[in-house]
Amino acid sequence: MRRTSPPLATDHLVDELITDLRPVRPLRMQSGLLLAAISLFATTIAALLIFGLRADMAAGSIAPLSLLASGLFLLLGTAASVTIISMGRPQVGNDHGGWKWAAAMTALLPATAIGLTMLNGPHALNHAMPEAGIRCLLQGGELGLITATALTLWLRRGAPTSPNAAGLLVGIAAGSIGIFAYSLHCGISDIYHIGLWHSLTVVTAAAIGRMLVPHLLRW
Amino acid sequence: MARLMAMAQRGDRTAYATLLRECQSWLTRYFARRIAPHQLDDLVQDTLLSLHRKLASYDPSRPFFPWLAAIARYRWVDHLRKIYRADEVAFGEDHAADNFEPAIAARISLERMFSTLPTPQASAIELVKIRGLSIAEAAQTSGQSESLVKVNIHRGLKKLSAMIEKA
Repeated sequence: MRRTSPPLATDHLVDELITDLRPVRPLRMQSGLLLAAISLFATTIAALLIFGLRADMAAGSIAPLSLLASGLFLLLGTAASVTIISMGRPQVGNDHGGWKWAAAMTALLPATAIGLTMLNGPHALNHAMPEAGIRCLLQGGELGLITATALTLWLRRGAPTSPNAAGLLVGIAAGSIGIFAYSLHCGISDIYHIGLWHSLTVVTAAAIGRMLVPHLLRW
Repeated sequence: MARLMAMAQRGDRTAYATLLRECQSWLTRYFARRIAPHQLDDLVQDTLLSLHRKLASYDPSRPFFPWLAAIARYRWVDHLRKIYRADEVAFGEDHAADNFEPAIAARISLERMFSTLPTPQASAIELVKIRGLSIAEAAQTSGQSESLVKVNIHRGLKKLSAMIEKA
């Protein structure tokens, strides 16, 4: 369906649109939330099947820091996903800012790691374990693809009025849920490792989402 | 309108015809004071096309006009971005106030969105993107330097695009 030139064109266009009408299924909040929940479930199952459960958790215990960090990433991923679902259903009066609070809370992890590095000197970064960190970055990012695909498809059906922000949020949601799922395998419970490498997964995914997703959205 | 839209989503062409005619008329009034008259039809057509393509993004349990206004605002900001020069300066007198509550009309209007911009940004966009003056003419009229006019247009449009769904 292409726009034609005025002056009589608008009436003509309306006639064409009427002829072109096909039934559509409205994007309801519940179906969006269900999609996000299924993506989260699929990502978690994929992480457990591909990489396996971390040893301490399998033995029935977990370090409090890991639990806290995983919870924060899950919270951020959920907040970003809910915002994206809302973005697909535009309306003047919507507020898409709620995820920022979750982001601020999660940012305490890298802030703490950076603060401790400044206090204790660069040698403290050895705790971050770069080799394992790169693995977390790559594999957490790969797991995030499930969420990224689901949310991008949702946005393509919807009408996001801020494609750039939507792209950024797809990346944040994908990175957060990806690293949450991978943290069920990653057995390193160190603030330097979690604060730097796990957070970097979210930042990297956000940058990629911001760059790629707007190009995939159609209006 | 919400009921017509719900029927249109189920494929009812009669309801859709009524809805589109109403929307065409509403959009024409909505945009009238914020776009050069010779571009009005283009913008209304673009918005109707977006409405058609994004039919599924409307949830029938929510009010209709805030949804339509979000689509219209997005198209308007997109249109302003593309325009560098228009030929006509005259503007219509109609407002977007309509057959629904004035409070809602005020909240979703383009004026409300525009009024949140700092004066230099609003002025630069109004002169160049809506009235169609050149950058040099706008600089002379507003008392801003040419580069400042460009910067204010850029910043203003960026701000507008971030405010599309703000009431």
